[in-house]
Amino acid sequence: MGIRNLLNNILAGLSVVMFLGAFGMVFFYAPREATMGEVQRIFYFHVASAWVGFFGFFVTFAGGIGYLATNNRRWDILALSSAEVGLVYITMTLVTGMLWARPVWGTYWTWEPRLTISAVQWLLYVAYVMLRGSTPDPEREARFAAVYGIAAFVTVPLSWFAIRWWRTIHPQVVSAAGISIAPKMLHTLLVSIAAFTLVYVALLRQRMILEQAEDRLAALRQHDDVALS
Amino acid sequence: MIDVHALTKSFGPRQALSGIDLHVASGECIVLCGPNGAGKTTLLRILATLARPTSGAVRIAGLDPAQAGVAVRQQIGFLSHRTLLYDDLTAEQNLAFYARMYAIPDAQARIDALLERVGLTARRHDLVRTFSRGMQQRLAVARAVLHRPSLVLLDEPYTGLDPLAADALTSLLADLTGEGCTLLLTSHNLHSDITLNRRVVVLNRGRIVYDAPHTDVATFPALYRELVQESRIKNQESANGRMGEWANQESANGRMAESVDHASRITNHASRITLTHNPQPTTHNFFRHVWAIVAKDIAAELHTREMFSAMFVFAVLALLIFSFALDLRGTLAQAAAPGILWATIAFAGTLGLSRSMAREQQTGGIEGLLLAPVDRAALFCGKALGNLALMLAVELVLFPLAMVLFNVSFLRGGVLLAALLGTVGYAAAGTLLAAIAVNTRAREVMLPVLLLPLLTPLLIAAVKATGALLEGATWAEIGGWGQILVVYNLLIIAVALLTFRYVIEE
Repeated sequence: MGIRNLLNNILAGLSVVMFLGAFGMVFFYAPREATMGEVQRIFYFHVASAWVGFFGFFVTFAGGIGYLATNNRRWDILALSSAEVGLVYITMTLVTGMLWARPVWGTYWTWEPRLTISAVQWLLYVAYVMLRGSTPDPEREARFAAVYGIAAFVTVPLSWFAIRWWRTIHPQVVSAAGISIAPKMLHTLLVSIAAFTLVYVALLRQRMILEQAEDRLAALRQHDDVALS
Repeated sequence: MIDVHALTKSFGPRQALSGIDLHVASGECIVLCGPNGAGKTTLLRILATLARPTSGAVRIAGLDPAQAGVAVRQQIGFLSHRTLLYDDLTAEQNLAFYARMYAIPDAQARIDALLERVGLTARRHDLVRTFSRGMQQRLAVARAVLHRPSLVLLDEPYTGLDPLAADALTSLLADLTGEGCTLLLTSHNLHSDITLNRRVVVLNRGRIVYDAPHTDVATFPALYRELVQESRIKNQESANGRMGEWANQESANGRMAESVDHASRITNHASRITLTHNPQPTTHNFFRHVWAIVAKDIAAELHTREMFSAMFVFAVLALLIFSFALDLRGTLAQAAAPGILWATIAFAGTLGLSRSMAREQQTGGIEGLLLAPVDRAALFCGKALGNLALMLAVELVLFPLAMVLFNVSFLRGGVLLAALLGTVGYAAAGTLLAAIAVNTRAREVMLPVLLLPLLTPLLIAAVKATGALLEGATWAEIGGWGQILVVYNLLIIAVALLTFRYVIEE
């Protein structure tokens, strides 16, 4: 128990340090973008949160497969926790994207393919969270959620390739021609992604611990009900 | 015939069965008793392969249901609390459907004989929904034994039967036992002939507290109360951590079943059992089952026309409202028509899909399908094709109406192909998610919440593809939209085929 707490504290501390470091690089290290100006700095949060959002949904997908294959509750807890944390990140992606789009594109929202798929993905995981707790049998609920998490993940590759399949006004940082940003911008982006990923891991771990505690509490309540009846 | 060792079943933190050991020999008849919530139905459902155990070993005729589900289900007849019949089919159509699912060779003769046996020959062409509870129960008994199972599990079989029908059932059960069939039935009736001279197993709070032949009608009810009460006290002591070994349960009357080495007995018994027949899943059987489900759904719809009517009226209303509200002309109408048309199809389709699975759920039809020795993928394909047929039937009326209202011609090969691809994806994803939604608390609203976000990329692709094709583009020219339609269909069908069993099984 002591080692686990120590690990959690180290992870949380490291997340804070990394996040502050990324924050500093965004505002004091990365150069000012020539066309868009200061507002472009939101890019480092937008891309990093999008990456973690997609990665979180991959973990939900993998957790769903793991649960269906093994019937082990730990996989379900991993899937559920990752979906909830991933949903927060995708929400951040949409919000930062809209804030960035207004001064650059002149509108908060446009039905551009990648934006559309991101919005759809956000809705998918809101539906996933709604599905949790909607079934009387917890085991069945876990299976439903696993299947839905797998089906929902189908949209991730579509989202990923959408920007390349269709003509789009969405910028491409990484393409077949290489990486099209300045080295300092790239360094800042990589540190941001690392910081956001670390925060995701810390949040995921805390959420899983909370869910396991809820399971233990439910088992204790059941034990008490049996004893009192 | 049945070997159960250390069986447990939990629903979340609640334990429904705790360490059940049970051995039932071939041809034996056992009565399972116990108070409400004792775990009788859960045990029967596990034996019927409708529920999975949390832990422990179950063997039916020497086979593990988890490994040889199709072969085991062929041997089992199950009468549930619910009739597992389709209200919108006739008595004969219900039995004919199950006969096809079980591949019964002399189906018509068997159906005729059973209808005669349960006294429903005169009502064979009537819809089940017009039957009284007792008549439905009689037909459910016929369904349970239709395929000549070697193990029949009956959950409260006398429920709703009048005295004459109850006598007929007792006679039928006696015949089944005479034919070597193994029977396991639950009952609350401690005074009747049902329990007399039979092996009685009393279950309380998920544990077997008594297992012995019952020979005295006069004393058994009092003994039963004593057992249940004593078990309650023991359970309380166990919960408080003061209980000794549960195996010393002989205090009831010294007749508690002995603890035996079930694992070795399972192995020995398995070698003695020979299945009457062991159907192998084949491509032919797969398509036969798919067609049986599609035909059943079409027959039910022809009797009621409720789903088609509801979807059709809803779709027409939506089209009229859009047409009236937007009042579009010329190129504007052509640009808006695909979006309006697909939005209409989406909402009408959701309505139909929801009802399609609710129909299965209503009287436990989905459990009837799960009991049949059928590949789960065939169940998905059958349901999805039935839903697809229904959606296409609605589109057949919807497209001409949209052509009239928006003055746009949809009768082009590419447009119709896009419509077909979009509808296939919708029916496939909708069937999978409707099976989930129907089991949730907010089932009325959950399907659109789950389905529409999942289908939005497909719908966008369908709208864009239809729009481009209406403007004169060829299929090759619509590029990514066509690819999205195809890839989405392939992915969602693959996911549905692989996961459908996890959705429909308990």
